[in-house]
Amino acid sequence: MRDVSIVGMGTTEFGVLDAGVKDLGVRAVSRALRSCDVSRADVDALYLGNFVAGILEGQENIAPLVADSVGLTGIPTMKTEGACASSGIALRQAYQAVATGVHDVVVVAGVESMTSAETTEFTRALNSAADTQTEGKTGLTFPGFYGLWLDRYMYEHGTTREEVAAIPVKNRKNGATNPRARFRDPITIDDVVESRLVADPLRLYDCCPAADGGAALVIAASDRARELTETPIQVLGSGHASGRSGAYRYDDLTTLDATVTAATDAYAQANISPTDLDVVELHDCFSAAEIGDSEDLGLFEKGEGATAAAEGVTAVDGDVPINPSGGLLSKGHPVGATGIGQVYEVCLQLFGEHENQVDGAELALTHNLGGSGAVCTVTVLGRDA
Amino acid sequence: MPAFPATECADCGELYGFPVVACRACGSESFEAHDVDGSGTVYARTTIRVPGADHQGQEPFEVCVVDLAADIRITARILDNPGLSPGDSVQFVEARDGVFFFEAA
Repeated sequence: MRDVSIVGMGTTEFGVLDAGVKDLGVRAVSRALRSCDVSRADVDALYLGNFVAGILEGQENIAPLVADSVGLTGIPTMKTEGACASSGIALRQAYQAVATGVHDVVVVAGVESMTSAETTEFTRALNSAADTQTEGKTGLTFPGFYGLWLDRYMYEHGTTREEVAAIPVKNRKNGATNPRARFRDPITIDDVVESRLVADPLRLYDCCPAADGGAALVIAASDRARELTETPIQVLGSGHASGRSGAYRYDDLTTLDATVTAATDAYAQANISPTDLDVVELHDCFSAAEIGDSEDLGLFEKGEGATAAAEGVTAVDGDVPINPSGGLLSKGHPVGATGIGQVYEVCLQLFGEHENQVDGAELALTHNLGGSGAVCTVTVLGRDA
Repeated sequence: MPAFPATECADCGELYGFPVVACRACGSESFEAHDVDGSGTVYARTTIRVPGADHQGQEPFEVCVVDLAADIRITARILDNPGLSPGDSVQFVEARDGVFFFEAA
């Protein structure tokens, strides 16, 4: 297995962009290629993550269309889909292709266009990530899944609604200074606990907003990375696991196995422990998800994730900075673009150039989760030595 | 009290709440109807106030993860929005269009 580095990156803002998936993908990939010294002829393949363009836009076969539109005609391409982890999976596949020597230089992209969809079509598309034969039929939504999660969690740990609300408050504060975020206005604990119920005990401000967006990386074998950029970022660990198909399938609903497994694999490969990490971008599709993710990633003991946020431990200047970008709760969740968007944010941290810079960040993690904990990718990244 | 219509693997005896096409435990594709006690306990509960496309107009409705005495866990609808909590008792009422309905016991 060869070492793999990120040598280029590009992104759009996340928000209401009035553009389709192909154009968003083209913008992100073009920007990634322009950010480094990679020529079109250097690129061996393109992997693109997307979730619902087929349903919402009637547009499939996106990967070769984007490749042709950016001057990469002829290379092998493929789309990866794993709901909200679609582009985390794209990165995983591209990483494996380079690590095993199949390819030397690969473009990885994630893209989604959602905000112009009618509400009915939009919810139908998002719910396609759940098992339509079981919980989908029952009427459980994704906020509903995390409503169940949080109900059980609060019952087991005595966590208060105000402690949970500290998470969206923190992430919205971070997002206020991130020009790539959809939401850039801070909120208060009262705003969260007084916002309307969506899926008890989850309220509106516990939920991430939809967004349009595209993000892309160029990755390469590390022994070639310095030819292609002055500032490579090394992929130190990569984990990918599947989990359970619904809430009823968990013995312990508050532990999402896919995260635990993917993180364990990524930590082992990187030869680190969670306490070594300087900065984390994790999948906070809901406030409850950030609590569980942070515990499943081994950053906190069970029952401590919410209190850690309430006590400032996960703030940009805290001991365990989580989602300094503002996370999905602020940036928004252009589903297929989210995983690569997270990597973009931590690369800025490792360059020392993020708007919400964590002092001296050298070791970072991204965590991308799809469905009801059905699939997860975890990536550990570090400055190239 | 209505019994709960579980499914039993004809080869290894594994019990399922939701219908299955192959046994997770042994791979068998042979199943038999197997009624079990319809009383259960709430493991987790939410109330859906913003439903998906196929459930518009039914909101608000309560959804629970329910544990049956037969060691079967399912996700089910709860009639009449009683506002249940983990540990509360529920009773199976009926299965309709692939959805299990319970009520507070």
